[in-house]
Amino acid sequence: MAEKVKLFVNGQEVEVEAGKNLIDAFGAVGIEIPHLCYHPALGADGNCRMCLVGIEDGRPPLVPACKTKVAEGMKVQLDAEKIKKIQRDIMELELINHPIDCPICDQAGECKLQDYYMRYDGKPSRMTVKPVLKAKKMDFGCDVVHDQERCVLCARCVRFTRLVTKTGELGIVNRTDYARVNIFPGRPLNNRYALNVVDLCPVGAMTSRDFRFKQRAWFLTKSPSICQGCSKGCNIFIDHNREKYKDDVIYRFRPRLNEKVNGYFMCDEGRMTYKQENDNRLIAPQVNGREAGFAEAIEAVRRAISGATKTAVLVSPNASLEQIFSIRQFAASINAALSGYSDGYIKAGDGDDFLIQDDKSANRAAFTLLNIDDSKAGFDAAINGADLLINFQNDLGRSLAEDQLASVLANAKLIAISSAATGCTAKSAVAVPVASYSEDSGSLINCDGRLQRYEIAVAKNQPLKSLIEVTNLIGGEIANNQEARAGLQAAVAVLKDIDLEQIPAEGIALTESEVAHVAA
Amino acid sequence: MSDRSQLIETGKPFAFDAQRDAEFERLVKRYPTRESMILPSLWLVQEQEGWISAEAMAYIADRIGTFPSMVYEAATFYTMYNLQPKGKTHICVCRTLSCYLLGKQEIVDYLKQELGIKPGEVSADGQFSLEEVECLGHCGTAPVVQVNGEFYEDMNVAKLKELLATLK
Repeated sequence: MAEKVKLFVNGQEVEVEAGKNLIDAFGAVGIEIPHLCYHPALGADGNCRMCLVGIEDGRPPLVPACKTKVAEGMKVQLDAEKIKKIQRDIMELELINHPIDCPICDQAGECKLQDYYMRYDGKPSRMTVKPVLKAKKMDFGCDVVHDQERCVLCARCVRFTRLVTKTGELGIVNRTDYARVNIFPGRPLNNRYALNVVDLCPVGAMTSRDFRFKQRAWFLTKSPSICQGCSKGCNIFIDHNREKYKDDVIYRFRPRLNEKVNGYFMCDEGRMTYKQENDNRLIAPQVNGREAGFAEAIEAVRRAISGATKTAVLVSPNASLEQIFSIRQFAASINAALSGYSDGYIKAGDGDDFLIQDDKSANRAAFTLLNIDDSKAGFDAAINGADLLINFQNDLGRSLAEDQLASVLANAKLIAISSAATGCTAKSAVAVPVASYSEDSGSLINCDGRLQRYEIAVAKNQPLKSLIEVTNLIGGEIANNQEARAGLQAAVAVLKDIDLEQIPAEGIALTESEVAHVAA
Repeated sequence: MSDRSQLIETGKPFAFDAQRDAEFERLVKRYPTRESMILPSLWLVQEQEGWISAEAMAYIADRIGTFPSMVYEAATFYTMYNLQPKGKTHICVCRTLSCYLLGKQEIVDYLKQELGIKPGEVSADGQFSLEEVECLGHCGTAPVVQVNGEFYEDMNVAKLKELLATLK
């Protein structure tokens, strides 16, 4: 465990983690020091002065908490009248030119300026002169919309583009109360992580064109999950809401802190994959191109399986560990050849050295762990002579050209078990809708061999059955995640000592060598 | 202070001339990091062109190997950098304390009337531009007027009249 130090806050002894600054160390034990410019991923800048605290050891009367490390025996003063006055004064300064447009501001409800005003200021404005007017709804590129008047000049966005993406599109120009964030003329934001500035902005100055004016922050339920846009497995919040008389809808993904995976950030493409959870979903079961009842569709699948001479099963690299395992058991039970062919999910050369990966699937590492062949040759062998192809969630149209897909389907009847309406579900003899990952729970192994868990986030008005339940209904033995996990633990050596029901928030590292060993 | 963030684009690429190019290479060796060359480079542009365009800032950023936004920040922060073309004769009047107390306003009013322009403007024929600036550092001989970089001290309206006659 991390080393601890004992110190005094307002005269009371507190034990905090050593080596951190006052804001982080105190924040971890529930003591808030207000701050606008400091962000753990961007370091201390010391420009906002909101975090000034007193330290009774002969230092200057007040020091910025963001730039001060905790030390044994330190006596920190947070509640002295002079500190409260500073906080009030800084708030007053920040609000001099701030348009109080909270009723139409997207940040309202999750705005530091609002929160701090209520907590540390609460005084009426004394301003009698006209505020300085600046530009509004500026298009900064990458779907970031900037409002210069709301900005508090904390420079988090500027530091993000200089320190993290190293693209440096943003700067603070002019000075005094004319200072503002701007892009250089003709050089808008141009990086694949740009929307993180919207999360970083402590106020409503940076907004996302996609999200703005869609929902009030306080209506959103923030459910933890894992992004499935690529094999990195960035930790996210799924922000969703069920409006009156409507269905539960996802409005945005936001990054969720996991130091071991994505830190505080996520990429813009991953952020936008929430749309796939809302739109283009397969909702109604289909038999021979017409809508059918769920029971009828399941019956049609069972009949097709019993009537087939050779069956091939295709599984998606996005399926959870539990799902892949139950599909593997199911395929074995009906003597079907199993393939994980999904070359179309890999976009070679698209990844970078930060978060984005070439592999746009979430769980290919589980294929290695469970010995599932995802080669084209393996797929060709599996499909050769087969008169039935059961496709679990795999968007085969991504990997095969139209004519290749047609020649596969010329001989084999296609059954699609899918959460999304794809080219495959349209061509299938039977299509059975299942819950997507935001409506299901499961485990994923990311590109670095880290096992992570996601839980059910969204509850639809008419919930779809999970993929494991459907697999069970069409003849699979495993009925739920618990049974799958028990089976996984018995079958896979590297998972033997892991409690699959209790995956910690940061996930568990299955080391590369262990995974490779199991595969061999 | 005012908003200086609206840059002017000439539509033509900028480059240092041979003299400024050599000067840049001489100066760059002085500093521990290349970013330190932002301010001297902006001066070189201003020396060469009289003012600094968006293209010139992009050129500097490229030459130094930094972000254009950083050059933009520095150029808009310091008011001594001209971000728009000036008149052939650029007149600066100091408006800080000593000059203020010793009658800079009379000088400014006289110039406004004679040249027909307000501080911050350029005359229609492009001959004159007028600007009020902060302390020029010659407080002992206030009020001070600066014409194209040259100092004229202990100024008053009569002396200014003579000076203008030589300039027109």
